[in-house]
Amino acid sequence: MSKISKSPNKKANSKAKQAFNEKFAYRSVIISVIFGGIFLIISIFFNIEIITVFMDKNVLLDIVDVLIKTSVILLFFFFMMVSIGNYKEIVGKPISWREFLFLIVLSLGQSILNLWVFIFTVLGIIIILIYLYLTQEI
Amino acid sequence: MRKLNLKILLSMFIINIFFISVLFTIPCHGALEEIDPNFGKAPTIDGQIDSFANEWDEAYKIQTNLTDLPINLWVMQSSSKLYIAVQIELSGVVNRTSEFVGILISNSSSEDIKDFIDAKIIQFSNITENEFDYFDYFINNSVFIPDSASNGNGAAKLEGETSTYEFSIPINNPQGSIDEDVYLEYGELFAFNITYGLTPSYPQGIMKSSIFLININYPPRSELPLLKLTIFVFTIVIFSLAVVLYGFYIYRIIKLKEIMERYRR
Repeated sequence: MSKISKSPNKKANSKAKQAFNEKFAYRSVIISVIFGGIFLIISIFFNIEIITVFMDKNVLLDIVDVLIKTSVILLFFFFMMVSIGNYKEIVGKPISWREFLFLIVLSLGQSILNLWVFIFTVLGIIIILIYLYLTQEI
Repeated sequence: MRKLNLKILLSMFIINIFFISVLFTIPCHGALEEIDPNFGKAPTIDGQIDSFANEWDEAYKIQTNLTDLPINLWVMQSSSKLYIAVQIELSGVVNRTSEFVGILISNSSSEDIKDFIDAKIIQFSNITENEFDYFDYFINNSVFIPDSASNGNGAAKLEGETSTYEFSIPINNPQGSIDEDVYLEYGELFAFNITYGLTPSYPQGIMKSSIFLININYPPRSELPLLKLTIFVFTIVIFSLAVVLYGFYIYRIIKLKEIMERYRR
């Protein structure tokens, strides 16, 4: 019968697992923030109406314009949400309501120049929040 | 005797006035209507009034006649162009191979035929195949001379028994061929003779026509409303804030890595 305790091995294993998780979470923070930044830059161009190639030409191009503007904001919101969530996980704190609301305001604020973009962004954010809530580990 | 002489003198005077007034009468068409075009979104000049794209929605629209030919007429303006659309429905006419609608423009509000010096014509060469040409002419003593540089644009399309002609004519544009085109200036009233015919010979081919007076309006002042300006400033503030916070967040991530490495050690 072995007299050697198995617990230090177990401890080492859990430490390695935690390090791996942290590394994975940190990578996710970095990748998500890069994507969030890219979509923020695209959003600046489209939602401040620096790029107006699709605007006021015909109905179809107007729809394309609204779709681009909305999806860019929603992707910014999604990636930033993932990034901040993982950041908070590494730090060991949950996301506060203040941070949550701040991100929502920053996203909706990008869409106020166009009523349709604003409406679809509100709907999209609600869907993303429901999705993120349902996919959380309980 | 004196009375008779007076009567003769008076009758001669009246006859004289009558003849003189006849001599001063210039043969001209009666102006049907004075049109004050609305400002609207520029339509696509393709011979089609696309209601799905809300084309010509803001236009001044009337049902009128070219002599006895009923037409639908749309007139609209932007800051740089005057848009005119004419729709003609010819029911029961068969073997119609060619057709044209022309716009003869007077250099003022004068309806005198000599003052119509500019013509924009859309001529169907093969109406069933929707083949057409747009011509820009200078009119000199009723002789139509092609412009050295064509100004404006036009397109036509036949759908069923209805043919639609769309014109776009530059306004307040002193560039181009000033001698050959009428300079449609803001705030001025111009006479437009809308003509209809079949064969491509001008002016002999003109069968029906009517004159309209069109006012070239000044573009509305593009004042940025206070609400719009506030929203725009708010958007700029939001984006600036987002960029600053994004930068701060990147800084926090870099710091986090340092903490994680220190913690691991």
